Amino acid sequence: MNDHSSQDTQPRREERVFGVACSFRSVAEIFHAAERIRDAGWKKWDVYTPFPIHGMDAAMGLPRSPIPRVTLLGGITGFVTGCLLTWYTNSFDYPLIVGAKPYWSVIYPFPVLYECTILFAAFGTFFGQFIFNRLPRHHHPLFDVPQFVRVSDDAFMVVLEVSDPRFGNPDKAYDFLASLGGQDITLVRD
Amino acid sequence: MSDSRSPSAWSARWPLFAAIAAVCIGTVYGFAFFTPLTEDARNQMSLLYGAMFWASALIGILMLTMITRLFDAGWAPIIRRSWEFLLPALPIVILLGVAPLALNPSIRHAVWEWTSATDHAIHAKSWFLNEPFFLGRIGFYVIVFGGLGWALRHWSFRQDSDRTAGHTHTLHAISAAGVPVAALTLTFLAFDCLMALSYHWFSTMYGVWFFTLSIRLALSVTVILTHLLSTRGWLGGMLNQAHRHVLGCLMLAFTVFWAYISFSQYFIIYNANIPEETFWYNIREIDAVTGEKSQWWWVSMFMVFGFFLLPFILLLFYRTKIVASRIVAVASLIFFGGLVDLWWNAIPRKIHDHSEVGFHVNDFLVPQLGLDLLSVVGFGALVFAIFLRTARNAECIPIHDPRISESLEYHE
Repeated sequence: MNDHSSQDTQPRREERVFGVACSFRSVAEIFHAAERIRDAGWKKWDVYTPFPIHGMDAAMGLPRSPIPRVTLLGGITGFVTGCLLTWYTNSFDYPLIVGAKPYWSVIYPFPVLYECTILFAAFGTFFGQFIFNRLPRHHHPLFDVPQFVRVSDDAFMVVLEVSDPRFGNPDKAYDFLASLGGQDITLVRD
Repeated sequence: MSDSRSPSAWSARWPLFAAIAAVCIGTVYGFAFFTPLTEDARNQMSLLYGAMFWASALIGILMLTMITRLFDAGWAPIIRRSWEFLLPALPIVILLGVAPLALNPSIRHAVWEWTSATDHAIHAKSWFLNEPFFLGRIGFYVIVFGGLGWALRHWSFRQDSDRTAGHTHTLHAISAAGVPVAALTLTFLAFDCLMALSYHWFSTMYGVWFFTLSIRLALSVTVILTHLLSTRGWLGGMLNQAHRHVLGCLMLAFTVFWAYISFSQYFIIYNANIPEETFWYNIREIDAVTGEKSQWWWVSMFMVFGFFLLPFILLLFYRTKIVASRIVAVASLIFFGGLVDLWWNAIPRKIHDHSEVGFHVNDFLVPQLGLDLLSVVGFGALVFAIFLRTARNAECIPIHDPRISESLEYHE
């Protein structure tokens, strides 16, 4: 079971390791493997599948995305910016009466306020996902793994990343993945 | 325990709710038809108020039924069957609540002032606002809403027994034709029954406002009803977190849309500042004689902060949408806000007197608020009785809908 000698398993000298990958043949297999990896306390790992698997978020123990908070922050910033913009231009810098309305109130500039809210909230969402997804990113170590192309067809892949404190050395990760029933266990070089 | 959860045990209770409806609506009828008419027809308005509240909620349900058909919404089938059980109540509510007021000439003249007005404003609009056409239109609303509801139920219920997937395509076609027809019908219902209560005033956004209120009420009724059905009734074990999430997202969307429409109507009139339009908002803010803020001002403030801002902020949170007790609480707030919105739109009107401005506005806090609520309870009991009775005619979920398993296993 632990016969790695025939596979491309050991990191060469001066080489950085991204993690260890393995494949599963069915949704049920990878789903249960994900639950066991989650229960073993792994944090830095991921699952790659040809299609979304319902319930995988919970099976992996993933928390909710933090991006909505960035959106909210963007929205509040936008509302305040809109208030300042309309107050500064119409009431402070160049006080002007338009259509017998006050210099500044929350009502007449409301279209400006909510447009700014929506615009900044959209910026928050867009740049928030850029930051949390660590984009832009032009290459990923998994692109060098030959089996990875099948993830867009019929393979279900799990990758344990070396940045997880549980990783230790590749052999331990191999044994763990093998105990879950993973096949084609491969070292992923960075 | 399992027996009380079965559809038959529930639907056998429909006579109880019908009896509650008869007592409540009978009392409201008593006040409407056997008390003297005042200028604001306040006793008669209770009947119109209760009927229009439930008509609004049921119109929203009609629209949601057709829209989820058109979009082939995978989450919808198990919830849509409950909507189909509710649909037959819509024409009955209009028949019992609006038609009697419109058919009695003296009450008609008091509730809809334009029917006895002779000024130039009414003369210019008389091609539309004339009594025979008005009565004909109310009949038309009953027929259109009744017919659409019947068609949507008929093919859906038939699918239970004959297992024909083709009925789903028939229902697509009915919905595609039904959405614009129902949209126009609900717009003119809102014009006739609510906007025309103050016939000098006009707003092209009024129909859209009524639509947004209808969908908000429909969603709040759906959340509360499906929660009851899942904890004590036939949806037990079927309604899941993802169904609540999608209903919560829709509640959030239509909270924003309602605010957008209501504010836009206000904003356009505020900006143009034309007296023949602004008076409608003025009588909902200030006492015409003293210039002080009236009771309606506080009702207006509740609309801004209680019916928009609070539900909006609460519904932004993911957990509000998935935790059953929280989404039911927000749905209840929206249900209450809908009551207030309808009060705010239907009740205030000018009552002529000998003051220097020549009129005052009727107050918000009057004993008839109790009669209004009795009317809402009465028509609500009627709607629920019809819901239970219709539930005897079909399976409690559409077992042969092509998307039934997708709906049962719906996932976020």
